[in-house]
Amino acid sequence: MALEGLAGALVIAFVAASIATVIRLAPSGSAESLTEPQKTPFLGGGAPDTHAWQRYHIRYYPMTLLFIAFEMEMMFMYPWAVVFVEEGGKAMMEMGMFLAILSVGIVYGWREGIFRWQ
Amino acid sequence: MAIAILRRLAGAAPAPAFPAIGAGMRAAADDLFLDGRLIRADSIRHARILLVAGPVREADQDDIRRLHDQMLHPRATLWWKSNPVRDFAEPATCDEDDPVAAIEAIHRALIEGARDSEPDILPNEPPNPWRGKGDYGQGGEGMMGGTPYGRPMAMTDDDLRDGLALDAYTAPFGPFLPMLPPGLKLSVTLQGDVIQTAKLLRPPSAQAEAYDGTVTALRALGRFLPILGLEAHAVRCLEAARSLSAGKPIELAKIRQFLFWSGALAAIPSGIGMVEDTDVRMRVERWLAALDESPTGGLDGSATMSPLKPARLVDLLRGREWSEAILIVNSFDTDTLISLAPVEAEDAETEGRAREDGIRMDHEGHGTHAHGATGT
Repeated sequence: MALEGLAGALVIAFVAASIATVIRLAPSGSAESLTEPQKTPFLGGGAPDTHAWQRYHIRYYPMTLLFIAFEMEMMFMYPWAVVFVEEGGKAMMEMGMFLAILSVGIVYGWREGIFRWQ
Repeated sequence: MAIAILRRLAGAAPAPAFPAIGAGMRAAADDLFLDGRLIRADSIRHARILLVAGPVREADQDDIRRLHDQMLHPRATLWWKSNPVRDFAEPATCDEDDPVAAIEAIHRALIEGARDSEPDILPNEPPNPWRGKGDYGQGGEGMMGGTPYGRPMAMTDDDLRDGLALDAYTAPFGPFLPMLPPGLKLSVTLQGDVIQTAKLLRPPSAQAEAYDGTVTALRALGRFLPILGLEAHAVRCLEAARSLSAGKPIELAKIRQFLFWSGALAAIPSGIGMVEDTDVRMRVERWLAALDESPTGGLDGSATMSPLKPARLVDLLRGREWSEAILIVNSFDTDTLISLAPVEAEDAETEGRAREDGIRMDHEGHGTHAHGATGT
């Protein structure tokens, strides 16, 4: 038992020493070693006036919402179908609640115009 | 020992060079990178050597200095048929027609340590002081205050498509951005990837177009196809253009067939960059048609070379997605682009007109968006 413990400790020490060596010897390509011109984005010669940290609209997000609503429905429905006969009415109630919550998302999406073909 | 072998191997590898192309050198630079001993770096960060080809305009000198400083070490600059910009210590120049040997020698010397990496030219400090300012050292007060990392935050602006007020990003693009013609510098305001406004800062540098219409069409295709992701076809076109210029016979019909089946035409959205009733796709079709015709009168000069005074490049770009905008810019030859890009007209009066057009643009913006949705 003591021998196994020793072997484990040796493995951990070896791994730790290897990681430390790699970190020590790795070329320091980190942000610290970059100069200010190197930190600016490549724009073909120009320098940006503003910071690139910004909010923009992810146009596909309503599609994502719709996908997740229907996908989660399926995720639950398969296992539910397996136990439905055993559980009976209780399972029916649970599925009803689940679908009601999900359909709030679908109704919201409807309001946002997901189903409108543009 | 092992390091020495690795270093020798690295020195013998193809040299990654970034071309900063000046007036009259575009075709020569395109031909240069057909050589297997060089790699054309798409970004200055991937390059070891900054290749300045041709004369640099006075206005572009600062951009050259910034490009130089953005390169990672070890780095070097080669001035090919060019006038070295001030501040470059001991510039390496080359006036030969083929600078590949010079580039290779510099690359090997850099990697093997025989040549020192070039030092910075610009000061190593942020454009605005920010460190240690504000409660959290973020460079100022509040969400939008201060200058984190030395630059102010982007301000909100209404989106062209639906008026949603999110951050508009304004930045200068060019004059040495690989997807834009050399010399063209635009100030573009983006909402996501949609161009809200574009302003012309500098027109493209003049390039000597080949007298032969077929060569011109092949070169134009060679620059256009990489944007669609068809690099192999582009190389084929550029090689054909080089052979044809040298008087060697090539199978134009075969190239045309390849391009037809590549699906390039289908990949171009229809109706973008409309000038004189031709859109980007029709201009590419015209290049393809030029491959069929006789070598001397291939391109219809009146259609592509005529000065297009009423249209302006910046108007063609407004409301377009970035990918479409790049297709539009590259669908014109340099002379046409210069005529579409009158830099004198870009003044306060233009700004005023843009604002007056705001309501009209809103409608156009919606149209574009709807079109994009059905197209994809």
